[in-house]
Amino acid sequence: MSKNLISIKNLDVKYITNKKPVHAVKDVSFDIKKGEIFGLVGESGCGKSTVVQSIIRTLNPPAIITNGYIKYNNKDILSLSVSEVRKLRWSQISIVMQSALNALNPVLTIKEQIIDVFITHKGMSKFEAVEKSKELLELVDIDRDRLESYAHELSGGMRQRVVLAIALALTPPLIIMDEPTTALDVIIEREILLKILELRKSLDFTILFITHDLNLLLEFADKIGVMKKGELVEVDITKKIKLGGEKEYTKKLISSLPSASGKRGIEFFPEPNLPSKTGIPMLEMKNINKEYLIGGFFKKKTLHAVKDFSLRIFKGEIIGLVGESGSGKSTIAQLITRLETQTSGSILLNGTDLKRNRSKNVSLGYRKKVQMIFQDPFGSLNNIHNVYHHLSRPILRHNIVPKIKLEKYIYKLLESVELSPGKLFAKKFPHEMSGGERQRVAIARALSVKPDLVIADEPTSMLDVSIRMDILRILAKLRNEHNVAILFITHDLASARYLADRIIVLQNGKKIEQGIAEDLIQSPKELYTKQLIAAASPGWLENAILEQ
Amino acid sequence: MNKNSILKRWGRGIIKNKKASFGLYFVSSLIGLSIFGPLFTLDPTAFLGAPLSPPSLEHFFGTNGQGQDVLSQTIAGARQTLLVAFTTGFFVVIIGAFIGGAAGYYGGKVDDFLSLIINVFLVMPGLPLMVILASWLPPGPLTLAGVLILTGWAWNARVIRSQMMSLKGRDFVLAAIISGESNSRIIFVEIMPRMLSLLASSFIGASVYAIGAQVGLEFLGLGDVSTVSWGTNLYWASNDLALLTGSWWTFVPTGLSIALISFSLTLINFGIDEVTNPRLISEKNWKKELPDNTLNNGVTPVVRKNV
Repeated sequence: MSKNLISIKNLDVKYITNKKPVHAVKDVSFDIKKGEIFGLVGESGCGKSTVVQSIIRTLNPPAIITNGYIKYNNKDILSLSVSEVRKLRWSQISIVMQSALNALNPVLTIKEQIIDVFITHKGMSKFEAVEKSKELLELVDIDRDRLESYAHELSGGMRQRVVLAIALALTPPLIIMDEPTTALDVIIEREILLKILELRKSLDFTILFITHDLNLLLEFADKIGVMKKGELVEVDITKKIKLGGEKEYTKKLISSLPSASGKRGIEFFPEPNLPSKTGIPMLEMKNINKEYLIGGFFKKKTLHAVKDFSLRIFKGEIIGLVGESGSGKSTIAQLITRLETQTSGSILLNGTDLKRNRSKNVSLGYRKKVQMIFQDPFGSLNNIHNVYHHLSRPILRHNIVPKIKLEKYIYKLLESVELSPGKLFAKKFPHEMSGGERQRVAIARALSVKPDLVIADEPTSMLDVSIRMDILRILAKLRNEHNVAILFITHDLASARYLADRIIVLQNGKKIEQGIAEDLIQSPKELYTKQLIAAASPGWLENAILEQ
Repeated sequence: MNKNSILKRWGRGIIKNKKASFGLYFVSSLIGLSIFGPLFTLDPTAFLGAPLSPPSLEHFFGTNGQGQDVLSQTIAGARQTLLVAFTTGFFVVIIGAFIGGAAGYYGGKVDDFLSLIINVFLVMPGLPLMVILASWLPPGPLTLAGVLILTGWAWNARVIRSQMMSLKGRDFVLAAIISGESNSRIIFVEIMPRMLSLLASSFIGASVYAIGAQVGLEFLGLGDVSTVSWGTNLYWASNDLALLTGSWWTFVPTGLSIALISFSLTLINFGIDEVTNPRLISEKNWKKELPDNTLNNGVTPVVRKNV
């Protein structure tokens, strides 16, 4: 057996606050062997980033390490002096950060940022350093001429490769990757991961991979640690975790992963009952175009966000609008909710054309019919007001129920989104609730006026994995109860598959493909759709390696 | 509303905060003194004793060049000075909130037009304008307040406009628009409460500015010199060559009061800052707990007990 490269024992990290210190990491112990890929998975706020930042000791006070050891090659990192820690960083342990756009300095060229590493740590001359940097870029499949580029001139995937190259510069034995692919689209995520695995073969480094996405880790990690609320719940080899692990929490995480391939399990939702698509559609978009003018005085450019898009939504139907960032899916939501006005084309509600009037003068009648659920439940509720206020305002505004019945109606509404007792939740303020609870309040608000159409813009992407399915289930339930149409906007084909009746795939503002959900999943026609499906199916990484 | 409302929490925080509660205590006692004090003191405009007599048992703060009681003058002066200061503060915030808020919220042509007005007032040189207006209009506290509001509102409107612009794109505002709320309700019920700390500190800042500016104008003789205020007190003291004759008691009480009230108002401002931005307080706390050499060196401090 190879020996432990890093060994963490009883690590405790606390944040000093006004009141009691916050115990961010509690008694965490695990070992990483040389050459291993160790995956650390957990939901937001579980302390996984705190653990890795303690390893290179980049946490700033008020964070303090209060107990434990972190041994690197049998030397305790926690008893090193400041200058020793600095020497250890990058030459022994480097880190790839989540957001490549923020990790790179926008006012320096790529060259300046890479040669800096060589000059500082290895004392190379500038000429040598530039030569080394060129080799490094080629290693991650970027043309050597790109060395003079600035970060904004590169695509998201290329930026992440540059960050990876900088982490590899001194060929450290251990590389920490903190959500390196989260900000990327699935297809690019796949390319980056393949590259990492390929480099690992030739350069032989150990990886500590942090992510919230257990599905991803199951593809390539050797060992997985599951964290929850600062504690390490379970550590085991990937095979065992895949089978469900031993702990309840791990089981829950595993079972909340929808897949975009294979047979559609019925454990999440019943089969969709396809509504009859006859007569006048509830909402229709005809040949919609949306252009934005961007740039300053001299260099005006038009950004064509939505191109010739048409859509028909019938009553009680759930449509999944699937696309990656920049595909124009959120713009379509803004057009339907009239927060933006289309450049050309028309939108019809129950057959009548909506005039292209200014967004702020939309009739109350339209507002009552079309409601929206936002992506970020922490931003869509006003912290100043309690739940009762949030729900009562639209109800009173649209005269849904008489004032005397208002209270009861609100409690019932809260209970229908599984926040019970409703009386208790009505009094709560947004900051007293979890993300999932807030999102349910947002759903209740959208439904409070009995709308015909609810637009759900990535309603689960800011939530923890274990509660995403609950939210989708509630949406499906409410469709059946209220016969409301839902436009479900998502980047995740797998969850669209389970919730939607029909799926529309968008790319660069254009409709690529559409069809009944299950048909589209089983027999996609376009290459792009196939790629999306492949990237969201278990075993995709192995398949991809085999393909190569 | 239950006790977890953010507004109530801020309210409790202000009362608990040492700086803010000291400031509030001092300001409110001065306001009380300015309202009820004149009932118990001597007539501030009457000739009561030998001019420029130093403090004595008869006149605690002595008398000025006109033989008037300085203590009565200081207390009576507080009334007009504070009235002008708080009126100015109030209207500067209200005008700023309306004009800046509307400009920021509506954007487009409305913003172009309102921003133009704001900018015109911003580029006007404030001090000369104040001097000209104050000397041209009939002197008196109303004129003073008017002049100070006219020259002071624009900056505040600008600040509120930019805050409004950053808040109006937030999801909770979009959600309110989609749910059919009217614009005025969105501005005043949804957005303005989120700016409460900004509005409160603008009010205090404008009041402090108004005290200084008003005393300055009156000192230059641009106020109504027949009324009693802190500014006119200083004007008369300088007129009577208080510095040359060494009669310090004619200007020190007034000057000290001005300094103290500005100080207390600023303390309230600090308090609001600390309560609405808890990080300011916690930073002080953890700095106390950690050894000096672990701060700001970019390496996580390790405080292990059993090693």
